[in-house]
Amino acid sequence: MIAVITMTGHGIDHKMKTWLLAGCLLFCALKTGAQDTEADSTHAGYVPVISGAAGFVDSVNGGTTTLLPAIDPVLLLPIGSHVLGEAKGDFVGVFSRRNGNGDFTGQVFSALDYAQLDWLANTHAMVVGGKYIVPFGLVSERVVPIWIDAFQNLPISFSVGTQTSGFGVGGELRGVATQNDTFSVQYAAYYSAHSGVDQFTSSHTIGFDASAYFPTHRIEVGTSYNRFQDDPKHVNNEAAYFVWQPTQLPLDIKAEWDHGYYGQGYWIQAAYVLSQIPVANRFFRNVELAGRMQQAFPDHGGGHGIPGIQTERPGVALNYYIRDNWRIVSSYERNFTSTKDANLWTIGFTYRFVWPLWPGRK
Amino acid sequence: MNKPRSPYRLAVLVTVIAAGVWLSGMKLYAGTQTQSEQKSPAPAVSNTGQRSGEQIFMENCSRCHKPPMTISPRITGTIIMHMRVRAKLSEQDQKALLRYLAP
Repeated sequence: MIAVITMTGHGIDHKMKTWLLAGCLLFCALKTGAQDTEADSTHAGYVPVISGAAGFVDSVNGGTTTLLPAIDPVLLLPIGSHVLGEAKGDFVGVFSRRNGNGDFTGQVFSALDYAQLDWLANTHAMVVGGKYIVPFGLVSERVVPIWIDAFQNLPISFSVGTQTSGFGVGGELRGVATQNDTFSVQYAAYYSAHSGVDQFTSSHTIGFDASAYFPTHRIEVGTSYNRFQDDPKHVNNEAAYFVWQPTQLPLDIKAEWDHGYYGQGYWIQAAYVLSQIPVANRFFRNVELAGRMQQAFPDHGGGHGIPGIQTERPGVALNYYIRDNWRIVSSYERNFTSTKDANLWTIGFTYRFVWPLWPGRK
Repeated sequence: MNKPRSPYRLAVLVTVIAAGVWLSGMKLYAGTQTQSEQKSPAPAVSNTGQRSGEQIFMENCSRCHKPPMTISPRITGTIIMHMRVRAKLSEQDQKALLRYLAP
C-alpha cells in the first residue's frame, strides 16, 4: 500500500487522517477479498473476463430481408470472490435493401444493456446495484443472449413485463431462499427508479420473480410480477413459467404465460438434440431440432410491443453446433393474423466467446 | 499540557499496522475460517446427499444453455461468480462447481 502523506505544521491534519483511515480500510477490504479467493482451496482464477457473443442473422419477415450482425460483449471485473462488477454492451446492425431491391443500407445501434455491481453476501442474499436486467419470466435474463435460445426471434409476448427498456436502474436482492437435495427456491426482488439518462433509461418499477427447481426431475416452475408506476394506469404484469428437461431424453421443454394491461400471450417450446439417432451419431448429436407455438391476445388495443390484433405463430428451428460455442442457426415461423399471414425465416450463425483480460494464476 | 504528537510517529504506526495486517492476514483469515467451520453454524442450505460438482453443473447450466466443453481455470472463479448471480445459485453449489471445474 502506498500512502502519500502531507504534513501541515506540527501534525497530520484531520483530512489526512481520514484519508489514511480510508486507505487502511480499503486495503484491508481488498486484502480480505484476496484471501477469500485463495481460501477457496481450488485452482480457480479470478481474473477479469471479457465474454459475450457475436452473430450474424439473415432475417426475412413477410418478404422483407434484414441483415442483423451483432456483437454483445460482457465485461466481468471481480473484486475478490464476493464482489463482481459486470457490464454488457449491445451493438446491433440493421441493414435492409434500399427501396426494397437496392443495396443493403442501414445503421448500427449501440446500447449499454446493463452495468451493475454484485455483492455475493451469502446464499440467501446477493445484492445488485446499478443498471440491471429486469428479471421477468424466462426470457429476459436467461435466453435473450443470441447464443442460447433455439429461436432468434423473441416470443411475441416478450414485451409484457419488460416494456420501456427491459432494464431497471436501482437495486435488486436475489438468492436462494431454501435448498435441499430435492428442491430449491430462488427469488429476486427489485426496485427501479425512473430514469431518462442516456443509456440508463428505465421505468419506475417494483417487482419480484420466484421459482422452485426440482433437480432430480429437472423441473422448474416460476412466477414473476411487476408494476410499472410510470404508466398513468400503474400497469401490473404477471408471468408463470415452466421448464422440464427429462433425464432420459435430450429434450428441453420451456413454456411461459404473460399477462399485462395491454395484452397477454403464451409460448411453449420443445428443443430436441438428435443424439439418440444411431446412424451418423457424430453428426446428429450436434443437431438441435426445436418447435415453438405462441399466441398473443391484445387487451385495451394492444401496443407497447403487443400486436394490436390476435396473433398465432407456430414455428420450427434447426440448429447445428459446429463446436459448443459455434452454431449455425435457422428457423421458420408462420405468422397468422386476421388481416395478413406472413412467413418469418432466419438463418445465420452465433459464436460465444470467453477470454481472460490478462494472464492470471492457472 | 498535552505534548504535540510527532506526525512521523503516527505515520509509522499506521504503516506498521498495515504491514501487520498484510503479513498476517492470510493466517488470520484462515484461522477465522477454520474456527467458523469448527463451530458449525447453521448451514445456509441443507444438502444431505453428496451432490457432486458435475451433477450441479449438469443440472443447473443446462437449464438455460448448452454447457461449455472447457473453461480455463484462470477464469473459472469469475465465470462461476457471474453465473451464481445470474442463475441464483447457492454458495454451496458455487464451491462444488469450483472444486469440479478447477480442482
